[in-house]
Amino acid sequence: MKKKKYTSLVLGIFSLLIAPLIFPSLCPAVENEECMECHADDTLARTKSEGMKENLFVNQENFENSVHHANDITCVDCHSDIEKLDWDNEIPHSERLAAVFCDKCHEEEAEAYVDSVHKKAGGKGITIPCYACHGYHYVTHLEAESVLERENGFCLKCHNPNKFHEWLPQMETHFAYVECTVCHAPEVPRYINLRFFDLAKQKFLDGNELLTAMGTDYDGFMPLVDTDSSGIIDIKEFENFTYMLLAKDLRGTFHAELVVAIEPVVHHVNRGAANRECEMCHIPTSLFFENVRFALNKEDGTTEHHQVDRKVLETYYLKHFYALGGTRIRLLDQIGLAMIAAGAGVVLAHLFMRILTIPTRKKKMDHKI
Amino acid sequence: MDNKKLIYIHPLPVRIWHWINAVGMVMLVVTGLQIRFADIVSLFTLEEAITLHNYIGFVVIGNYGLWVAFYFGTGKIKIYFPTPKTFLPNTIKQMKYYGVDIFKGDPNPHHMTPDNKFNSLQQQAYVGLMFIFMPLQMITGLLLWRVNDFEKYINMLGGIKIVDTIHVLLFFFFSIFIVVHSYLATLGHTPLAHFKAMFTGFEESH
Repeated sequence: MKKKKYTSLVLGIFSLLIAPLIFPSLCPAVENEECMECHADDTLARTKSEGMKENLFVNQENFENSVHHANDITCVDCHSDIEKLDWDNEIPHSERLAAVFCDKCHEEEAEAYVDSVHKKAGGKGITIPCYACHGYHYVTHLEAESVLERENGFCLKCHNPNKFHEWLPQMETHFAYVECTVCHAPEVPRYINLRFFDLAKQKFLDGNELLTAMGTDYDGFMPLVDTDSSGIIDIKEFENFTYMLLAKDLRGTFHAELVVAIEPVVHHVNRGAANRECEMCHIPTSLFFENVRFALNKEDGTTEHHQVDRKVLETYYLKHFYALGGTRIRLLDQIGLAMIAAGAGVVLAHLFMRILTIPTRKKKMDHKI
Repeated sequence: MDNKKLIYIHPLPVRIWHWINAVGMVMLVVTGLQIRFADIVSLFTLEEAITLHNYIGFVVIGNYGLWVAFYFGTGKIKIYFPTPKTFLPNTIKQMKYYGVDIFKGDPNPHHMTPDNKFNSLQQQAYVGLMFIFMPLQMITGLLLWRVNDFEKYINMLGGIKIVDTIHVLLFFFFSIFIVVHSYLATLGHTPLAHFKAMFTGFEESH
């Protein structure tokens, strides 16, 4: 028993000694606080060789909300050419830092990016590094972001979509409800993201707000809503869910958007490869509507998704979302078919009677003459 | 031949309106079928069908303006409204004619004149059609044409699905209306008499 105790102690000390070698970020050579001694100054800037000023300020609060900080990535994990700070110099590190290569960590994304119009533009004298779209110090989770937030944060920084989509019927509606990459990155998985909009508060409720109002938590949500434990919220369960919300005095609507999954393949945006066939989306069997998820957005920008039966899109529970033909209400088609059958039936019956009674009318005419 | 006479029933503006409307409505139904049932119908691409549907929709709306201008401008709009006193008995008589008497070769109880063009069943149908169904279809069509611009009004009506439901139910109604209307037009003294009159303006009175 005593021997075992000593072994654990030795192993513990050894682990502490080798830990910095395996996980350098746990014991960085330079602490973030040291960097912030200068970079927290919002006037900190340098003049580039072309005469342009580059702001070197880092907003600490924003950085601390970033996905990198959340994953314990420190300044020098990316700026790895800074091994130590020499405070005797005005600038305690090299004036020109080496470029940061995101692909050191984001290998799959970098690999996917090679097959994209943005990377290929590099051959034409333009360089579009990762941070041109993603930014650097304040990168956050995108999962919980709406179509507009995603578009504003990325594509619309450079592109003016109004210039190239004049052919697209309901152009602005598409921009508001369909993320650019749904059509422009044809290989990426897509899904319908459902969120609850509170009409009284005039805002989308995040996961915590909705769950608190419902009197449950993240673990209790599905057992409460998905009563048959199938893992999918079907039409009946969705109906009950809406009643549950009403019972808690939550009056609102379900807002649906077509977004892409945040996967490396989303970088596969290529000239001429965008989907321009309306029929890809606007038919009831469209793969675009196969995956429907109800989103419980968290504060850190991540989302807990729950699968919803796609048939819910074809109901009046989603009064504010309709993709022409694609999410049509089948009951209307049945009513329409009944109307047409009834009308055609009356016409055919009348015509049949007219033909059948021709001899009667002929006899009457002959009698008149 | 003995007692046949020609009456000028359909003035030129009415005939122009009618045929533009007829062609327009048929095309709206065909393109509408393509739009709603792109998985089953493939007469056009969806993009073409939507573009055509929008253009034709505006032609039909403009044409409705012609109908309003003519009928209200000339005061002839009163032919659409029944006389309260005779309305019920005339309706019963007319129903009996279409349901029974027509097969026996009895004469139509309604005698067409320029000031009393429609029988009471036609009056009911056309008042509903021109004062309720057509405007409703045009308004919902306009809202659906620019969903983003008219979002406020769409939400006032209960959302895009409600507006679409009205438009689609009326689409089915107009589809069958075209069939029934064309069939009823064959019930003149000859099967083509009413069709001919809608081109020439003259109906034969017997």
